[in-house]
Amino acid sequence: MSFIGEIIEITIRSVTISLSATILSSLWSIPLSLIIARSRSRMTKALMGVLNSLIGFPTVLVGLFLYIIFSSSGPLGGLGILYTPFAIMIGEALLITPLLISLSYEIFSKAYYEYWETSITLGATPAQAFMKLITERFEDIIVVLLIGFSRAIGELGVALMVGGNIRGFTRVFTTTIALEVSKGNFDIALFLGFILLIIVSTTSAIIRIMGGRKSD
Amino acid sequence: MMPMNERKVKYALALSIILLMGIASTYYFLYNQSVKIRISTTTSLYATGLLDYLYDEFKENHSNVVVQFIAVGSGAALKLAEQGDVDMVFVHAPNLEADYIKRGIITNHTIFAYNYFIIVGPKSDPAHIANLTPIEAMKSIYNSCENGQALFISRGDQSGTHQRELLLWNLSGLNPFNKSWYIETGSGMSETLLVANEKNAYTISDIGTFLKLKGDGRLPNLVKLVDKGKILINIYSAYIVETAKTNSDTQKVIKSLMKFILSDTGQELIGSFGVDKYGQPLFYPAKGHEDELREIWQWFVDLAK
Repeated sequence: MSFIGEIIEITIRSVTISLSATILSSLWSIPLSLIIARSRSRMTKALMGVLNSLIGFPTVLVGLFLYIIFSSSGPLGGLGILYTPFAIMIGEALLITPLLISLSYEIFSKAYYEYWETSITLGATPAQAFMKLITERFEDIIVVLLIGFSRAIGELGVALMVGGNIRGFTRVFTTTIALEVSKGNFDIALFLGFILLIIVSTTSAIIRIMGGRKSD
Repeated sequence: MMPMNERKVKYALALSIILLMGIASTYYFLYNQSVKIRISTTTSLYATGLLDYLYDEFKENHSNVVVQFIAVGSGAALKLAEQGDVDMVFVHAPNLEADYIKRGIITNHTIFAYNYFIIVGPKSDPAHIANLTPIEAMKSIYNSCENGQALFISRGDQSGTHQRELLLWNLSGLNPFNKSWYIETGSGMSETLLVANEKNAYTISDIGTFLKLKGDGRLPNLVKLVDKGKILINIYSAYIVETAKTNSDTQKVIKSLMKFILSDTGQELIGSFGVDKYGQPLFYPAKGHEDELREIWQWFVDLAK
């Protein structure tokens, strides 16, 4: 495959994996953050403190932890997902969970009384109230997801440990950059870094524009 | 963004879940299409590009086969084998290999290539090691480092190169560990060479990685100083991993890959790799020297005891 072809392929793979990881993570992160926002007990407030401190958790430790679990001799070895894109997706989804919960908690803790309580008072079921809350704060939630996506696509530790940087299969931006540096090909590494920068800064531009529109 | 209503949000949710499942099933489908084998390999074989080069040739006649390389140090490569996560290993650390053979983790020892380790250092060569024997060179480096005239960079990562460095120190009867001039990078060969280049320090490298980086103009300050001596021979071996959970299809592929590497075509590819770019081969084929190399391999195992 040509050089450009390979870079396009890596770009598509990286975006796909990190986007899937973000969606996957939101499936549990958003409901969880709502549960935490609703609770008034000290336990959940303490839990928020723990989650906040986990935001900066070293990615390579998440990778090592998942490697031990997914390894053939590990508890989930039978699934055979080590060194596949699924492993990276799951790893990134777990990695950004504290970030997503913490950011959406900020949204829900404010919006909760406004929408949830009102909907319930007006006779809505919890499912309907949940939908109302999500609908009213949809743009904010998208912003949260994009922040999570930026973190996922830029991490190296998980992708390297459980992805294995296999050519044409689990090779993503960050692992390619690491490999090209180890080959001494700084020019290629810089070029890839530049593409990654464009993706991440486009994402954050979208975040800013959406954030700006909302206040109109 | 358009104002949201509940229906749109529901669509968005449904769409994203469908997208997620679509991606997952596409990967799953592609993943199960072909016979797949995994090989953990030493970085020096992979970063030079030799393995991808061999694999591209192998694929010509085995289009349904996917070979996945996981490039790590020899120590880590063998550890992955022990965990049962790879089907084959390509490594260059005889004393570590012997241990894993004894424990029944790897079998079918096959020497397929060799080259040399070299001692490289700054052009000025403050320790005057050019043309010394490897052991004398280590002693001379030690002395000049102790006098504050030089630095030594170590891989420090249980790789094949690191193992050989430790053996050289051991045979010289010297103990450089914990000295302030003994710098452990804990990273790959290329990174270590780049550090040595920046710091004008001595280090030990496999010749392949050094020639590649030197040829690319990344190591202006470093030169090859010692490259002769039996103790510097670097032997690359392939093994089949016994602890891997393989089926008969993968076993067949593993056998034919082994055969390909040792075939005339495979050996020629190894011997000619990099000649056009670097003016000399990065690796030498094992063909014709099998018995000799096996003897040397055993010699290294015994030396390290």
